[in-house]
Amino acid sequence: MVSLQFHPANAKPMSLCPSFQTLNPTKTLKSYPKPRRSVAIASALQWNRKPQLAGETPRVVVITSGKGGVGKTTTTANVGLSLARLGFSVVAIDADVGLRNLDLLLGLENRVNYTVVEVLNGDCRLDQALVRDKRWSNFELLCISKPRSKLPIGFGGKALVWLVDALKSREEGSPDFILIDCPAGIDAGFITAITPANEAVLVTTPDITSLRDADRVTGLLECDGIRDIKMIVNRVRTDMIKGEDMMSVLDVQEMLGLALLGVIPEDSEVIRSTNRGYPLVLNKPPTLAGLAFEQAAWRLVEQDSMQAVMVEEEPKKRGFFSFFGG
Amino acid sequence: MASIWSLQFHSLSFLLSIWGNKHWLSSNVVRLPTKLLLNHSQLKNNRKVQLRAIAGSSGSEVEQPTQNAVVNSVERGLVLNSEHPFSRFQGTISSFPPVVLMMKKYGGSNLVIGFCIATAILIIAVRAYVVGKSRDNIHGSVADLVRRGHLRSDRRGISSPLKYDDPFNNPLVKVGKGNSTVEMCGKVYRLAPVTLTRDQQAIHQKRRSRAYQWKRPTIFLKEGDSIPPDVDPDTIRWIPANHPFATTTSEIDEDLAQNNVYQKHGVPFRIQAEHEALQRKLEALQNDEKLNNLMIDGRNAKDFQRPFKLYSKSNDPVEESPNNSKVVYSKPPRPKLDPNSSQGNLSSEEMQKP
Repeated sequence: MVSLQFHPANAKPMSLCPSFQTLNPTKTLKSYPKPRRSVAIASALQWNRKPQLAGETPRVVVITSGKGGVGKTTTTANVGLSLARLGFSVVAIDADVGLRNLDLLLGLENRVNYTVVEVLNGDCRLDQALVRDKRWSNFELLCISKPRSKLPIGFGGKALVWLVDALKSREEGSPDFILIDCPAGIDAGFITAITPANEAVLVTTPDITSLRDADRVTGLLECDGIRDIKMIVNRVRTDMIKGEDMMSVLDVQEMLGLALLGVIPEDSEVIRSTNRGYPLVLNKPPTLAGLAFEQAAWRLVEQDSMQAVMVEEEPKKRGFFSFFGG
Repeated sequence: MASIWSLQFHSLSFLLSIWGNKHWLSSNVVRLPTKLLLNHSQLKNNRKVQLRAIAGSSGSEVEQPTQNAVVNSVERGLVLNSEHPFSRFQGTISSFPPVVLMMKKYGGSNLVIGFCIATAILIIAVRAYVVGKSRDNIHGSVADLVRRGHLRSDRRGISSPLKYDDPFNNPLVKVGKGNSTVEMCGKVYRLAPVTLTRDQQAIHQKRRSRAYQWKRPTIFLKEGDSIPPDVDPDTIRWIPANHPFATTTSEIDEDLAQNNVYQKHGVPFRIQAEHEALQRKLEALQNDEKLNNLMIDGRNAKDFQRPFKLYSKSNDPVEESPNNSKVVYSKPPRPKLDPNSSQGNLSSEEMQKP
């Protein structure tokens, strides 16, 4: 591990995350030079490198799906905290008006006193409604409304645009990422949530119901002018794919024609972490799904997409000493 | 068996040397007897050889008593004339009768004594180690804070660079040779390249743009509302009247809401408004109170007068009646009465309660 630090700091594994050449990283951090893609061997991986933030800040990303229960909120929590761990300031907005859950996933449910509805009504200021995570102080949560209150949707979308503007111009600086957790469906809540977004992450599972909804939502997003849409395929089971009981990730991509931001394997740890209010990416040791979320966050920062997917599970080759437990 | 003993002996000397680093003086004291014993045995053998040589050199056994005397004198002289002062010292000690007796009696139990000493040293060393350990875990130290999770050990100090857990360069992610496999969390996966091209993406976008014609709704109307004249019907979103989470009506107007969102300092709008309203109400109340005081004091004055009246003028039917309503009805403002009494309000209320 020590020897890795002597390698050039910007090399990346070609098989996992090379980006499209057309995507241009416009904003780079001062201390890190531009990535070079010439060295592509696994041993030249970087350790101390921070991912390079591409695009203009704040990056307003809506995480949507169409169908419910595919993992939008889980993705928001895990990608958001991964970004915060990488050193970027993140504001996660739970735009699910009636059925908010992001606070539960993050373990912040006891700290939500004010919401956007109170801000609009003038009961509190915006900075009072932002809930700062104690684990990662550059992560903040903002809920749209309390479970039994109603959002005046006459200017719901506009309200989110104002929020983004207000966050941009706040004293401690504009956040790098504003993640909007979109409600399921294509109702008024969906319209409200996608209003301020510049890019979208579409979460889907490899089943036809979810894919049909995802395709429709993608169409609506494109009609609304959001062109930068990437997808995360959630709850992938490689064993079922191998047995041809589940669509492979490449099949999903063929149906939707979207760039891949990440592939999240099915993991029982997801439910456990949800119950604990402790996002998966903070688990030590990291789980398979947590690692996949971290990789997705890394690609999101660099406006990157997957160039290879894990399609099949191979039995691990056992060495001579494996008989003795080695 | 011999190897075991020798091992024990080595360990003993090793422990002695360890212990001796800290307690040099005491180790010397410990080492001394062992050396003494060893040297004594060597010396004894040498002496026997020498004495045999002397005895052998004598011609007959008749002269043995004299020879013995000579031997004794020689032995004494040998001991005394020995060049080594240490051996001389040993000789002196060994010649003492109690020591000789002890050596004869417990000659074979050297190992037992050594074992006891080794055990004692071992116990001392273990105790010193435990004490040292417990000293490290003093409550309130930085190490303790790290252990309790208040401080992150990898974040302490500004000199150490922040390391990012690169998900692609994690110990749990190993890319195989030739980039065709990847091992994640102990499982090996085969990597298949993504085949989606830019052209295919564009084709999908065209398909969707044909399939889904959609305009963002710009106006939200409740079902049953009439469409305003200058509005495109495609951009209307009809919200059911009983929608659980959305409402088309709002108490607050749009500009005010925008100002509320943009407000960075000071008291929030509604709080301020409520505060001002309360203030106004309070002021009004205070004014009213003054006014009430005027009235109540008047009545109070009257109430105070009443017993006097009752007792003085019992023939007045209105004042005698216990009915409060009549009292209430009979409270026209009387500004001409004394307004100074502050307790008048309370007393009159208390009187009105029953």
